[in-house]
Amino acid sequence: MHIVDGALSNPVVIGGAVAAVGGIAMGLRNLPLERIPAAGVLSASFFVASLIHVPIGPSSVHLILNGLAGLVLGWAAFPALFVGLLLQAVFFGFGGLTVLGVNAVNIALPAVLVGLAFRPMVARGSPMQGAIWGGIGGGLAIAATTLAVALSLALTGDEFLLAAKLVFFAHIPVMVIEALLTGAAVMLARRVKPELFINTPAGGLS
Amino acid sequence: MIRTRVLILTLATALMAPLPALAHKVISSVFPSGDAIEGEVGFSNGDMAVDLQIDVFNEAGEKLGEARTDADGFFIYTPTTPVTHIFRGDLGAGHVAEMTMPADEVADIMGVAAEATPTVAPTADTSATGLSQDAEAEIAKMLRRELRPLRQEITALKNETNLQSILGGIGYIVGLFGFGFYIAARRQIGEQK
Repeated sequence: MHIVDGALSNPVVIGGAVAAVGGIAMGLRNLPLERIPAAGVLSASFFVASLIHVPIGPSSVHLILNGLAGLVLGWAAFPALFVGLLLQAVFFGFGGLTVLGVNAVNIALPAVLVGLAFRPMVARGSPMQGAIWGGIGGGLAIAATTLAVALSLALTGDEFLLAAKLVFFAHIPVMVIEALLTGAAVMLARRVKPELFINTPAGGLS
Repeated sequence: MIRTRVLILTLATALMAPLPALAHKVISSVFPSGDAIEGEVGFSNGDMAVDLQIDVFNEAGEKLGEARTDADGFFIYTPTTPVTHIFRGDLGAGHVAEMTMPADEVADIMGVAAEATPTVAPTADTSATGLSQDAEAEIAKMLRRELRPLRQEITALKNETNLQSILGGIGYIVGLFGFGFYIAARRQIGEQK
């Protein structure tokens, strides 16, 4: 999921960096005081989740949890995931510093989109219904991320369909696991803290 | 508070799940092997890159040649010019392996001085050891074979993620968001005054 240094052409790297700066600025503006601890915890979850590897056939893939971050934080998921990515690059060499922008956009943009699209559904109805919508959102976030990764590779020269298929199919198990995990997390949150997903003037999110 | 507790629970679940130390990362290295350059490419989880095309470039980016990895992820390339060699392998899906061997090492392999033309014949300087050239070549080959697992282990060790860096990373995140919280709180207090 993390694209490494040297795999992308310069225009893609620069474009990604510019988009990431925009996203972070947007996210910080939409991060109220009350949400900062939540953003920190989700950032840490994302940071750790990437270290949990699920062996799939000859390869292994890892969890991302960007859907959950998007559902809880909305636009604020952008800076939260960026911090996680930055530290992963520094500590473990996942991805790299030059491609940080592209990776941030690839992972955080789907999170934000899923958050904006599914948040009303997640907040509505019974906790079970919310959990199902949350699960769909969690799976979709991963699917969108694989497409974004494939697109970044395609812009550099890889054939899009081939790259997309490769990344997408490798991550189908992750989509399933993330859907279940996000669903369970939403269910729990809806039971014990229903207002987490509801826009309030104090903890309001766009 | 409950919200925070829920999120901490999520984090704890993530932490408690089995934590394999290996990351999905490309590892690669090149080293001299007799009169050739040997290299290996693989993922840090132990999977080697099988039958992968390795393109060889010089510093200016001109292609010098290519090699293919065998079933164990190893490839051999015999240099023809004593310049810096850059080996590049595209493993697909954003994974690229790049290895560099500096000019003097390449020259050493070829038995010529760096920048010199490769027409100079390698000097046979084996008299000091009292061994025939054959015996020396045999010993060198044996040593390489013996050292290979060691080298792989060192590479794996270098790429291992340990608990300290994980905890360190989490500490950084806590600190960073704590700082953000401080700034935001200050601003809010300033507005209230």
